[in-house]
Amino acid sequence: MSVTVLVADDNEVAQRLCRRVLEKAGHKVLTASDGLEAVALALANPLDMILMDVAMPGMDGLEAMRLIKEKKPGLAIVIASAHSMASDKERFLAAGADDVLSKPFRLTDLTAVVDRLTANRTPQ
Amino acid sequence: MTPGPKQRFDAKPIRTEGLVRRVTPIAGWLFVGLFALAALVVGFARSEGAVEVAAIVLLAAIGLVAVVVFEVVRHATSAAAVAKGEADALRQRDERLALTVGGASVGLGLVDRDGRWVQVNDTLSAMLGRTTTELLATTLVAVTDPAQASQLEEQLAKLRDRGASRWEGESRQVRPGGEPFPVALTITAAATAPGVAEPLFLVQETDVSAARRADALRDAMVAVRHAIATSITWDQAAPHALSAIGTKLERDTVQFWAVDAERDALRLRHSWHRDDPSLGDFDRACRELFVPPGQGVFGRVRQSGVAAAIKGISSVAEPALTVPARKAAIIEAVVCPVVSGGAVTGVIALLSRRASDVEDDVMTMLTTVGSEVGQFIQRADTNQALQRSEADHRAIFERAPIGIARISATGDLLEGNDALLKMLEHDLATLRDQAWPDLLRSYDLAAGKSRVAPLLAGFSDGGIVQVRAATGDGRWLWLQMTATSIPDASGRPEHVLVMVEDVTTVREAQDKLAEALDAQRSANIDLEKLDRTKTEFLSIVSHEFRTALTGIQGFSELIRDGGLESDELRAYGGYIFNDADRVNRLIGDMLDLDRMESGRMSIRMADVDINEVLSDSIARAVSSNTVDFKPDLDPRLPIVTGDRDRLVQVVSNLVNNAVKYSPEGGTVTISSRAEGGYALITVSDTGLGIPPDEIAHVFERFRRVRSGAAQSIAGTGLGLTIVKQIVEMHGGKIWVESAVGHGSAFHFTIPLAVEAVTPALQLHHA
Repeated sequence: MSVTVLVADDNEVAQRLCRRVLEKAGHKVLTASDGLEAVALALANPLDMILMDVAMPGMDGLEAMRLIKEKKPGLAIVIASAHSMASDKERFLAAGADDVLSKPFRLTDLTAVVDRLTANRTPQ
Repeated sequence: MTPGPKQRFDAKPIRTEGLVRRVTPIAGWLFVGLFALAALVVGFARSEGAVEVAAIVLLAAIGLVAVVVFEVVRHATSAAAVAKGEADALRQRDERLALTVGGASVGLGLVDRDGRWVQVNDTLSAMLGRTTTELLATTLVAVTDPAQASQLEEQLAKLRDRGASRWEGESRQVRPGGEPFPVALTITAAATAPGVAEPLFLVQETDVSAARRADALRDAMVAVRHAIATSITWDQAAPHALSAIGTKLERDTVQFWAVDAERDALRLRHSWHRDDPSLGDFDRACRELFVPPGQGVFGRVRQSGVAAAIKGISSVAEPALTVPARKAAIIEAVVCPVVSGGAVTGVIALLSRRASDVEDDVMTMLTTVGSEVGQFIQRADTNQALQRSEADHRAIFERAPIGIARISATGDLLEGNDALLKMLEHDLATLRDQAWPDLLRSYDLAAGKSRVAPLLAGFSDGGIVQVRAATGDGRWLWLQMTATSIPDASGRPEHVLVMVEDVTTVREAQDKLAEALDAQRSANIDLEKLDRTKTEFLSIVSHEFRTALTGIQGFSELIRDGGLESDELRAYGGYIFNDADRVNRLIGDMLDLDRMESGRMSIRMADVDINEVLSDSIARAVSSNTVDFKPDLDPRLPIVTGDRDRLVQVVSNLVNNAVKYSPEGGTVTISSRAEGGYALITVSDTGLGIPPDEIAHVFERFRRVRSGAAQSIAGTGLGLTIVKQIVEMHGGKIWVESAVGHGSAFHFTIPLAVEAVTPALQLHHA
């Protein structure tokens, strides 16, 4: 099933990797390089899921997630961060993340989280 | 002069006898003459014959005789009557005199030239304890104290030899079996009757023992009072007072027994005794004793507070003293209480080897002595206590280890103890005139700071203030001053006591401790900060690594899984390489930084031409960039001292940053010049600039400017931190000026080589 995923990451290499993996899996990928851009894209486009980095210049991923969740509470947002200590994961979930993907990740983990969170959902 | 009474009684009516004797011859002769005349006439008449003439003459003679006889008889009768009247009057007078003399309180008597009593009155015989008969059988000398006998005999001899007609003096008489007693004695040579060859002496005696005892009592009292008046304590007065009582009142030993409060018993404290070994033994025996209340005469007097006398010290009277008293032959004790402050604090005992008449006057006197001694003891105790207290306070003041100053209500130093003078290293005058006013000012200043009242406010009690003060020798001390105002009777502060303690050591220790605590605290803060920084650092570093590894792991997984186009493979290989390189650089930078910060990085100092370093960097950068480089190097710039490799690292970093943050076609200017012994190098760009709130942090690790267009610019975030470390290791400085949208200028300085600082060398170098 093809879904639309927004990949928000300031690291160009990470963006490319995600796009390559998700498109290969048959999904549609939008990319943003900072939080502000991510919010704009998320509110402008129907999305199935957002893969959100945290440490981004300007508005960080958590703030962007909060703004998006205000408007689209049903939209699944997965935090993909290189901040991958145990406390970080708790922090992200508490901030409202639907799931957390720690960087670096296995490619199958990425596709699996997309599949799991987009199943039985309508784009938001 | 009084004639002897007996002589008077035996006087005869001698005037009548004398008259008869004188008249009788005249009448005789008259009768013979007349008879002869009558015979002559008769004879003539015979011759002449006139019988009648003879008869007339005879008749005349008879008549004349009759007249004479009548006259004589009349005269004799009248003389006898006169004599009788006179005798009667004399007898009456003598009787009155006899009554007076016999009943006189004065002893009167007559002695002959050998001193034998011829006559005595009753008073004298009573006084001398002998009957008149007994007395008349003895002599004046025999009733006199043998010790006085020779003196008396001498005086009698003088009177006998008419060397003197009267002697008046004092002597002592003895009664049979009795003690000598004092008498006032007057001996007068009595008038001697005509024809009596033996002269008589009138002896007049008065018993003066009562007067003497009164005198003795008075003298004893005076002596006791004198002893008291000239002593400070009873202990001092007692020996004099007791000996005075003993000698004046003629006792063998006089003792003062004091109440021993601990054992509630009387103990002999002071004593006087006549010089006699057995009395000495008695004294020693007494000193061993503790006489409980109520026991014997001592204990009873102590209990009752009433003086008492006993004769014959029996075991009932004073059981503990029986044996020693018997040995010393003491048989009489007169004991009076010594009363101080309403309580009997002791007794005075007069002990004697012979029984004396203990009259009321003695008891009264002793009671007075007891009371006066008691009052004196109390007064002396109070005085002594006061003096001791005063002395104690003096001693505290003078010998206290802390300085004490007594100052007037106006702040003048009245007194300062030794400790104070020693502490402040001043003499009293300098302290009073100079140091003390300064100290007062310091006190008030310090008091103001710690909200303590000024020293002379009068309510500064308990105010403790620490001041810094210089001593006379210029040492600086911390003094702790505590002020206490001493009020006068009306409650106004009369003077102020200031305790001054040298707390320099304590204060310095405190200061050191506080310093150490501060250091510890700030070290703790540093540690916490370091800890936070480390955690933060670890978090950032792991984030950087994981970010880089995300690409490496992801793309290598893609490659491993296969099925990629060759251009895809090449591109992914490139990503992997770049991230791996980044990880490598990150590790290198971190290690560098760690070595620098821990001081383990050595820099190899040598002469470096900084212009050459700059030129090389520009040359390397130009080849791979799209910005314009504008070198502005001072050709006269002297060489610097530094580690060339490290300086290259600094310059490359700054140039790379300038290039990274510059837009395409921007200009990077690199300048160098000498300024104040340093080479000043500036790398400026026309790039994005640094926001003002980030300028302060640009040299902190992982503080990359990532806002706006800068976000995509890669870096380890450690470059500027390392640059700063290297510059500072060379003894230089680095700083940045920047305006967003206009670019940034990084400046740093490196010290010029020492010899290069001289103008000659600068010239040479140029």
